[in-house]
Amino acid sequence: MNAVTQHTLTIMLQNETGALVRVAGLFASRSYNIDSLNVAATADPAISKLVLSIRGDDQAVVQIVRQTRKLIDVLEVSHQATAD
Amino acid sequence: MPRNRNIVNAQLMNTKSTPAPAGDLHPLAAKSMSGAEVIVQVLADEGVDVMFGYSGGAILPVYDAVFRYNATHPNDDGSEPLPLIVPANEQGAGFMAAGYARASGKVGVAVVTSGPGATNMVTPVRDSMADSIPMVVICGQVGVAAIGSDAFQEAPVSTIMGACAKHVFLVTDASVLEATLRTAFEIARSGRPGPVVVDVPKDVQNTALTFAGQGQLPIPGYRARLRNVQSAQLDDAGCASFFDALAQARRPLIYAGGGVIASGAAEALRDFVADFGLPVTTTLMGLGAFDTTDPLALHFLGMHGTAYANYAVEDCDFVLTLGARFDDRVAGVPDKFAPRAKFIAQVDIDPAEIGKVKAVDWHHIGDLRRTLERLREYGAAHGIHPRQDGRYAAWHAHIAELKRVHALNYDHDSELIQPYAVIEAINRITDGHAIISTGVGQHQMWAAQYFDYRAPRHWLSSGSMGTMGFGLPAAIGAQFARRDATVIDIDGDGSIRMNLGELETVTTYGLPVKIVLLNNRGDGMVRQWQKLFFKGRFASSDKSLHTKDFIKAVQADGFTWARRLERKEELADTIAEFLAFEGPAFLEVMIDPDAGVYPMVGPGMSYAQMITGDFIASRQRAAGDETLRNDMF
Ligand SMILES: Cc1ncc(C[n+]2csc(CCOP(=O)(O)OP(=O)(O)O)c2C)c(N)n1
Ligand SMILES: [Mg+2]
Repeated sequence: MNAVTQHTLTIMLQNETGALVRVAGLFASRSYNIDSLNVAATADPAISKLVLSIRGDDQAVVQIVRQTRKLIDVLEVSHQATAD
Repeated sequence: MPRNRNIVNAQLMNTKSTPAPAGDLHPLAAKSMSGAEVIVQVLADEGVDVMFGYSGGAILPVYDAVFRYNATHPNDDGSEPLPLIVPANEQGAGFMAAGYARASGKVGVAVVTSGPGATNMVTPVRDSMADSIPMVVICGQVGVAAIGSDAFQEAPVSTIMGACAKHVFLVTDASVLEATLRTAFEIARSGRPGPVVVDVPKDVQNTALTFAGQGQLPIPGYRARLRNVQSAQLDDAGCASFFDALAQARRPLIYAGGGVIASGAAEALRDFVADFGLPVTTTLMGLGAFDTTDPLALHFLGMHGTAYANYAVEDCDFVLTLGARFDDRVAGVPDKFAPRAKFIAQVDIDPAEIGKVKAVDWHHIGDLRRTLERLREYGAAHGIHPRQDGRYAAWHAHIAELKRVHALNYDHDSELIQPYAVIEAINRITDGHAIISTGVGQHQMWAAQYFDYRAPRHWLSSGSMGTMGFGLPAAIGAQFARRDATVIDIDGDGSIRMNLGELETVTTYGLPVKIVLLNNRGDGMVRQWQKLFFKGRFASSDKSLHTKDFIKAVQADGFTWARRLERKEELADTIAEFLAFEGPAFLEVMIDPDAGVYPMVGPGMSYAQMITGDFIASRQRAAGDETLRNDMF
């Protein structure tokens, strides 16, 4: 079993109706707990930037990152493990 | 809603859809149309030839536009180009669209009103998502200004459907309606297919617009990822490592799923097997991806798969997974799935499925058909022909022996009509060429087990969601997709009740759908689990006191051929007559209520612990099986 660590995901998101709910809903429906979530505007008003942190083992986080990339309005997802 | 859709990222910019070249203009470009007319025109442009739906206040402009389109664009034979088929319940419309899509490979379309119309559509949308079926569902919505006011027939469709569908659009800006509709089709059919919901407020349907005839929404992230997987070519090194591993194997097996059907890779799979000689077992969803009558076919695997398929999985030393996902009905205990396999390979279009349940030793993310063709080319160029070399002769002999010894079987001497015999009798006539839809339960598993499936898109069943009530509307949708095909709904007395209203839809549209009701007076599959796990306490699953006369019910709905079969001796003749009837026909068969589905790999069990029942030979007649059997009753 992989160790549970803190992970930070940065998601660039098209600013569409319901896009934020879909990201949050994806994490909820796959039983990932979001520890913190920060949504910020970017220089491009059509794009917002989400930074969220979750805890999980590496494999679980790889899976949720892949699932996030399946959301249509997600532009990019980057992922950083922050050992604590 | 932001109008500025410029995307900063230059790499993503490149992936924006290119406008059609000048000179290639849509003949209706620049024409004034209402939003509703735009919707109908895009549907026509996308090749839609039938839709399913139920009207209501919030979708009336679209219904009116469909009516006018049909009146002004009749086909040469006078028929409507965009017939709108009306079910008894929107769930029926959703499953009709899904049945159409499953039988044809084209996008199924359903059009419903807001609020209850849309919420009745949730089950088919989720069902299609879970089975990767392409659909576009258009829902009416209350006017933009009323959204969020608890208006009459308002439901939060984008929130509800967003959690169930591949994608959902709420169109609050009429100027993007046309591009949104077109994009919905693109998303539904591309990559791993799925349902897309477009929620269209009534005032958007009524807005005066100018038709562009082209253009999609920028969805640069999705398109970039899609282009990556679609262009992904298996390179020489990838091919080499695949064949190096295969060269070590003596007992390789292909485990093929619904992805083979979705990607149109069945022919490529057949050619691959012809070249390399790997036996094939499919998932329930993959039935028809490989001709089940082929000597190298093992029919399907898993919880109620054939014993010989499951034993082959136990015995194999190499697994090639094609468009399958180690679902819990297949790999209940992932660690014990294919325990002797030294190498597991996986090809899928969805990166999230690689290694999701079971770690694999080799994978390729990309189009299945092209991947299989690429492996064949590589094999041919490098003189790899294990089949011709006789490398798998012993394995093939073993497979043939497994199929012979552990064949499906049942009680042939019983006085009662055995459901398996009913399906065998139909199969003798249809010979693997009929389109079969099902409800959910024992009858579904018997239909999966005892029919032959010679080609893709002949087996229509709710695999992942397991939705009772799927069979009848799916058969209706399939008949619209394949007007000349024999379409048979194998249904259960519980399942058919769920969408019983659609019986009338069959006769209203004069469809020659054949319905076989395997009546065991109750929820047989539930009873089977209650026998196994609840000491035979049949809580709410026994319906022997229910009084419905199905024959009278279907006669009331206009079926002229409707019969109840109760005597074993009449089975063959009745079925021949039933299938020969030209119009809609309904055959109720009173079956042995105690007939079970075997084999069975119980939840949380490995294939080695499979129960095969009294009539299928088991490999472990000894210890394990007996303990389980004592527990059963
Ligand atoms: C909509 C829905 N509700 C409940 C279930 C749970 N369930 C699975 S099989 C089954 C019994 C089905 O009975 P019937 O259609 O008569 O089929 P049989 O097993 O008797 O062949 C039930 C209740 C389900 N799959 N779908
Ligand atoms: Mg039943």
